[in-house]
Amino acid sequence: MSDAEPSDATDSETDSGGVTVPDADADVELDAVSESADMVDVPLKVRDLRKTFGGITAVDNAGFEIKKGSMTGLIGPNGAGKSTTFNCITGTYTPDSGVVEFNGEDITGLEPYEVAERGLVRTFQIARELSEMTVLENMMVAPMHQRGEALWRSVFARNDVNKQEEEILERAWETLEFFDIEHLANEYAGNLSGGQRKLLEMARALLTDPDMLLLDEPFAGVNPTLEERLLEHIHELRNQGYTFLIVEHDMDLIMENCEKVIVMHQGRILTEGTPEDVRNNEDVIEAYLGGEV
Amino acid sequence: MSEPATFLGDPRGYVAEMTRAEQGVAGFVVTLMALLFYGLVTGGLGPAYFLYLVGLVGMYILLSFGLNVQWGYTGLINFSVAAFFGLGAYGTALLTADSSPLAGGFNPLVGLVLGLVLAAVLAVIIGIPTLRLRTDYLAIASLGLAEVVRLLMLNERWLTNGSAGLRGIPGFFEGWPFLATFPQTMPGLRFEQFEVGIPGIWTTRVLGFTLGQSFWQALLNVFVVAVFVGVVYLLLRHVHQSPWGRVLRTIRSDDDLAEALGKNTYAFKMQSFVLGSVIMALAGVFYAHLNLFVSPGDLEPINTFYVWIAVILGGSGSNRGAMFGGFVIIAIQEGTRFLGGALPDTFPVDLPSLLSIIESTYATVVGNFASTRLLAVGIIIILVMRWRPEGVLPPQRELIWPSALADADVPGREAAREAKVTDNNNETGSVHDPDELDDVTEDASDESSEDAPSSGDDVQANGGSTDRGPAGDNDAGGPGDDAPSKGGGRDE
Repeated sequence: MSDAEPSDATDSETDSGGVTVPDADADVELDAVSESADMVDVPLKVRDLRKTFGGITAVDNAGFEIKKGSMTGLIGPNGAGKSTTFNCITGTYTPDSGVVEFNGEDITGLEPYEVAERGLVRTFQIARELSEMTVLENMMVAPMHQRGEALWRSVFARNDVNKQEEEILERAWETLEFFDIEHLANEYAGNLSGGQRKLLEMARALLTDPDMLLLDEPFAGVNPTLEERLLEHIHELRNQGYTFLIVEHDMDLIMENCEKVIVMHQGRILTEGTPEDVRNNEDVIEAYLGGEV
Repeated sequence: MSEPATFLGDPRGYVAEMTRAEQGVAGFVVTLMALLFYGLVTGGLGPAYFLYLVGLVGMYILLSFGLNVQWGYTGLINFSVAAFFGLGAYGTALLTADSSPLAGGFNPLVGLVLGLVLAAVLAVIIGIPTLRLRTDYLAIASLGLAEVVRLLMLNERWLTNGSAGLRGIPGFFEGWPFLATFPQTMPGLRFEQFEVGIPGIWTTRVLGFTLGQSFWQALLNVFVVAVFVGVVYLLLRHVHQSPWGRVLRTIRSDDDLAEALGKNTYAFKMQSFVLGSVIMALAGVFYAHLNLFVSPGDLEPINTFYVWIAVILGGSGSNRGAMFGGFVIIAIQEGTRFLGGALPDTFPVDLPSLLSIIESTYATVVGNFASTRLLAVGIIIILVMRWRPEGVLPPQRELIWPSALADADVPGREAAREAKVTDNNNETGSVHDPDELDDVTEDASDESSEDAPSSGDDVQANGGSTDRGPAGDNDAGGPGDDAPSKGGGRDE
């Protein structure tokens, strides 16, 4: 790898308008969220969240907090309101009432892109690859506030744009290497297997330079080997300082990997706590075994 | 791999490097050119009229470009192409025409600006309520908008002169030094008629026409439209490959994903919609100064659908495809006029009376050949949708961002690079072939990367001139020890 880069990289960091450029010395390690040191300890707070569809209350006064650098699982049976909660947080739905706070800022009812801009980035349950673009291009879409995204600049300030493109490209390669999919870089994303798409999805989300990642069923339809690999990556990223909220169906998976588990049932937060607490909670057992609550 | 062949240096290699579709298109264009040339030389086709047709082709190319920005890049469904076209045409006509109920007599450049501004304003007005919603809403709204604009032009006589239209529009260069009087000052060139052929077997009369004022006027118009098309093409090719275009392509494939990645899709859609509409208005401005007469009939919805056909036929998202589509549309529209005259009026073979229906059908078709053009268009659309739904010249080769290809040669990524380099003669048209999808396995590495277009092909497809620049810079700016291998990757 290049050692001549760092001075360049820091240089450009000042003028790259929001896109943070990692130091080039990082071999496959991605730059952690260290810059946001002033970030609050509890980046995501959800209070009294409520969302109804017609007569159905999908989320009923749900509230929880996510600690910085933690890995939290959000589980629950079908129809528990996990996805709706998720969509209310990320701006896909506007909640009927309640507050979503991120890094101390009220983000309730913002557009999805505004939520993402604030560092709260989601992935999708069904990996959404841009099938007509190569994997590399898929990656390069992700960084936010690219200078070349302004129409006039892409025409009149080409050097400026080119310079940033090179930085983004370097980051894209690093992230692909981190996920061991760099050999696919020039493959059309539509040709990838399901598992590779999941990896691409997470790699792309990382390139947006988030503080916190919301993963929507990242292990759905993934074979055990790849599941293992994905988990490794997630753990490694968490050690680097990223915060994770994972919506999952598979209770065992969450119990083994998350330090905190939130259980939803019928739109409410049934319980939250460490995996042991949750495992022994009778309400949870009932909910999953179909008992009355 | 070798350098991409150039057309002049190595024509055979150049043709061999094209995809089959490109060869087909080239063959089609060359054949048509030969026919036109034959028509010109034998006097069947007047030179001035020929140039007028070229101008119309340019106009359709501009319209296709505009729709391509909206539909091909961003996935916006706009059914009011004719309205934006009409605003451009009426915008300039109202300011410049003698018969304009408004001011009239302005310089066409002022008209150009007004036409484009009108289109941009209308695009914003229609975009504000619809672009936040799914694309269907824009489709519905624009369908209505086209009719509203047409009926306004038809009924607001005080403003637009109604169905009588606007006459007396000056040429585009009215008021310019030299160019304004260029057609009058140029001498008439007389080409004497003479006979050629093989004596005793076959002879024909060729030439025998004068290149007069109308010819020079038409030549000027072709010049104008060539400049318009050239500028717009370069601009679009560039922005399409830029990060801006990348976001548009993301929005087209997956709106929600773009939002999740922090892109303000509404703003991007609006920019794309306005840009496309302004290009359509530019076509309208040109049309007004080409035809020197505009009327509400020019805003008929059929014109919108011709443009849609051009874009779909050429390949949505592809600028080259849009050009080809525009060309084909004019070939059909105008070709059907000539073909009717060229075919014998009655069926050439005597059939038994049992089959007289063939004879009568033939006579009907030939007798009304001009009106079969819609039939021709319909058949073409069905054939394209059945056999080549992505269009004749789909955008895959144009899309690849040039610097990305150069940078694929960064060290430590040899696998990808070598696959690309050895892949030179691969048929890139197969990327979208559904059969290929099954071949790619979990551990796909070198083999599967072969579908990626090779850098050589791409540079050639792009014409290479402007976009080689960043790629070259990139090479030079990379870490020193890698530069030789990178260069080698592309040039060996």
